[in-house]
Amino acid sequence: MKPVINVVACLLAALLCLVAPARADKITVAAASDLKYAMDEIADGFRKAHPADQVEVVYGSSGKFFAQIRNGAPYDLFFSADVAYPRELAQLGHAAAPVRSYALGRIALWSAVMDATRMTLDSLTDPAITRIAIANPRHAPYGKRAEEALRAAGLWDKVAHKLVNGESVSHATHFVQTGNAQVGMIALSLALGPDLASKGGYWLIPDTLHQPLEQGYVITRRAGNSALAKRFADYVEGPQARAVMRRYGFILPGEDAAR
Amino acid sequence: MLLTDSDQQALWLTLRLAGIVTLILLVVGTPIAWWLARTRAWWKGAVAAVVAMPLVLPPSVLGFYLLLAMGPQGPLGQFTQALGLGLLPFTFWGLVIASVIYSLPFMVQPLQTAFQAIGERPLEVAATLRASRLDAFFTVAVPMALPGFVSACVLTFAHTVGEFGVVLMIGGSIPGETRVAAVQIYDHVEALDYLDAHRLAGVLLVFSFLVLLAIHVWRPGTRKIG
Amino acid sequence: MSGLRARFRLAWPGFTLDVDLGLPGQGVTALFGHSGSGKTTLLRCVAGLERAPDGLLRVAGETWQDGTRWLPTHRRPIGYVFQEASLFPHLSVLGNLRYGMRRAGGAPASALDHVIDLLGIGHLLSRRPDRLSGGERSRVAIARALAVNPRLLLLDEPLAALDHARKQEILPYLERLRDELSIPMLYVSHVPDEVARLADHLVVMREGRVLASGPLAETLVRLDLPFRLGGDTGAVLAAEVGAIDAQWHLARVDFAGGSLLVRDHGIAVGRRVRVRVLARDVSLAAAHPGPSSIQNVLKGRIEVVADDEHPGLILVRVRLGQTALLASLTRRAAAALEIVPGRDVWVQVKTVALLDE
Repeated sequence: MKPVINVVACLLAALLCLVAPARADKITVAAASDLKYAMDEIADGFRKAHPADQVEVVYGSSGKFFAQIRNGAPYDLFFSADVAYPRELAQLGHAAAPVRSYALGRIALWSAVMDATRMTLDSLTDPAITRIAIANPRHAPYGKRAEEALRAAGLWDKVAHKLVNGESVSHATHFVQTGNAQVGMIALSLALGPDLASKGGYWLIPDTLHQPLEQGYVITRRAGNSALAKRFADYVEGPQARAVMRRYGFILPGEDAAR
Repeated sequence: MLLTDSDQQALWLTLRLAGIVTLILLVVGTPIAWWLARTRAWWKGAVAAVVAMPLVLPPSVLGFYLLLAMGPQGPLGQFTQALGLGLLPFTFWGLVIASVIYSLPFMVQPLQTAFQAIGERPLEVAATLRASRLDAFFTVAVPMALPGFVSACVLTFAHTVGEFGVVLMIGGSIPGETRVAAVQIYDHVEALDYLDAHRLAGVLLVFSFLVLLAIHVWRPGTRKIG
Repeated sequence: MSGLRARFRLAWPGFTLDVDLGLPGQGVTALFGHSGSGKTTLLRCVAGLERAPDGLLRVAGETWQDGTRWLPTHRRPIGYVFQEASLFPHLSVLGNLRYGMRRAGGAPASALDHVIDLLGIGHLLSRRPDRLSGGERSRVAIARALAVNPRLLLLDEPLAALDHARKQEILPYLERLRDELSIPMLYVSHVPDEVARLADHLVVMREGRVLASGPLAETLVRLDLPFRLGGDTGAVLAAEVGAIDAQWHLARVDFAGGSLLVRDHGIAVGRRVRVRVLARDVSLAAAHPGPSSIQNVLKGRIEVVADDEHPGLILVRVRLGQTALLASLTRRAAAALEIVPGRDVWVQVKTVALLDE
């Protein structure tokens, strides 16, 4: 009997260690996938400035984060690609502070196998392009805007059959990176990222063709008392972070498009 | 109409995919299972491990690597292009190939177990009764392993119907081509159309349950015939 | 039929088979030995179920295996009866019978009827194997092996899985096979009784080697083999029913060397029978024993004296004309009677078993 009790005790102890509550001064940030490179840099900057604080960033589709937070997922901040989601969360009582816009996103054409800098939307009708990757317009903000742009340009009927849908805008980017789609209509911030910028150029899709990609964030209800969450939100709205965002093509609230 | 047109399309696509994959795996998996059941080669364990790999690989990982392999720079992609077949991602047949790989152990393992259970004796008997090895396989091994075949086909079919991660990675969610029911449900959820999601998921659940129930109520070999 | 020639050498971890045999092309040849003696392995080599690397097998003039040739099992004109019947569970009895028939081709339907008749399984044809008794299964297995019209019938301890009553039930069928069909049979067994009843030729094996190979009667009375059968030691005689004594309900059987009185089993005069005389039922006397309850008293000459398993016992072979009998004696008795080769003795046989019912 004794050896069995010892084994059980050890297992319980191990289990407890794994589920031990996180120490204070740690936050988890849910960020839309278009923020991959930008938010990585911003978080790094924050960590350097506040070495005692722990910040973890998780990337995914805005719609999924919305559903998860609604159902109690342990995120402290939510940076959405579409401000509508945080607004909805606030309406449902999941916000600790008012929703704030943090950027305007842009979509761009990007290709790893062709020269996107010379393209326009019309180029998509080229028979050499058989697959165009976009995020699923049904639920991804960047995908929705891509569809709007195509429709506004009168190209939807001509190229719809070439579209392949990614689960999120980063998934759509995978398709283009691996060459399975010749071209993608993806987030500008991703096209400017180090991985992609070195492999291909981009063409900015005119923002007159689609609804603005107003990106907003919110501090969730569960982080209402977290001083760290507030610190991080302030940092994101501060000058260093804004510089990073600008570098990744985001248009900041109050500023005009530089291009 | 219980389901929308696009939902019906997704469901039909799912059934077609599962059916074709099951048939292909029946042809491909049976010889593999037979070999694994009877060989004494020293590298049998390695083959069995490779066959079982899809069981432990996360589907999205498998999907990602298939996306690379089937892409224009990947070995499979270059092969299909050389044959003039284009690229496999985002096509129905690309899903078929991926599903065949992903569901392989679900066909091979039950068959292997069934073949092993037969043992050597019935085949020796068949040989003494003038049956060649191929003849003995079809007239003795297969009938004796019939419950195993049923199990394997049901598992493979059900597993393919439920496949999500791989399809999502390489499918591109194209309606009528790669937007299978599982992906359609996911899209409904992502778009916050929960009612549509519930309906389609419900239909899928009921269908799967009925199929499994039918199989378990009628099991060849457990009934005494004649 | 010019017989069977087999030479096999197999080396497995813990077991080696090394045989070089010539066997008659007719009748029943028994492969006898304890478990592990290699008798089943030898049978399987003949069937082609085991492949000895450079073996030789020639059956009735046809080469089934040599340095360059290997005939696979399904092309050998054999029938094989396995130890546990091993009927196909997914086929009925008739299905099992037909399985080989269809593939052996050429055998007419009447041949199948004959086999069904011979084994008495006509009423079982539509049953599934799981609905048969052990004895019925054995008979179906034998019938199935015969249904392919084999030129050589191989039987691997077909009665081993049966209880005593079933065995007694099936043995007559096997005797019928031997008597009515002219198919040579190789019969593996470790049971002296079965061998005594069925065999015409006896091969004794031990640890993968052949100790002796010869006609049954001769081989059974050999005392030079490193082999003892204990209580089953004895002679088997070929005899004929000479006369019936209705008054005493006895029958006289004549063999080449004398006659014996046995109980009348209802066998007609003139019929050939096998008679078994166990060594422990034979006693010797230096002079004619005079009145005694043992009615079978014959005169013979001591041929060989040999040790038995127990140090206090010896075995004696006595020649009676062309026949030999074995007697089991204590060493003390042998010394007292001065039992030496060449000496004439009186042989008393207490019990004679008639092997053919």
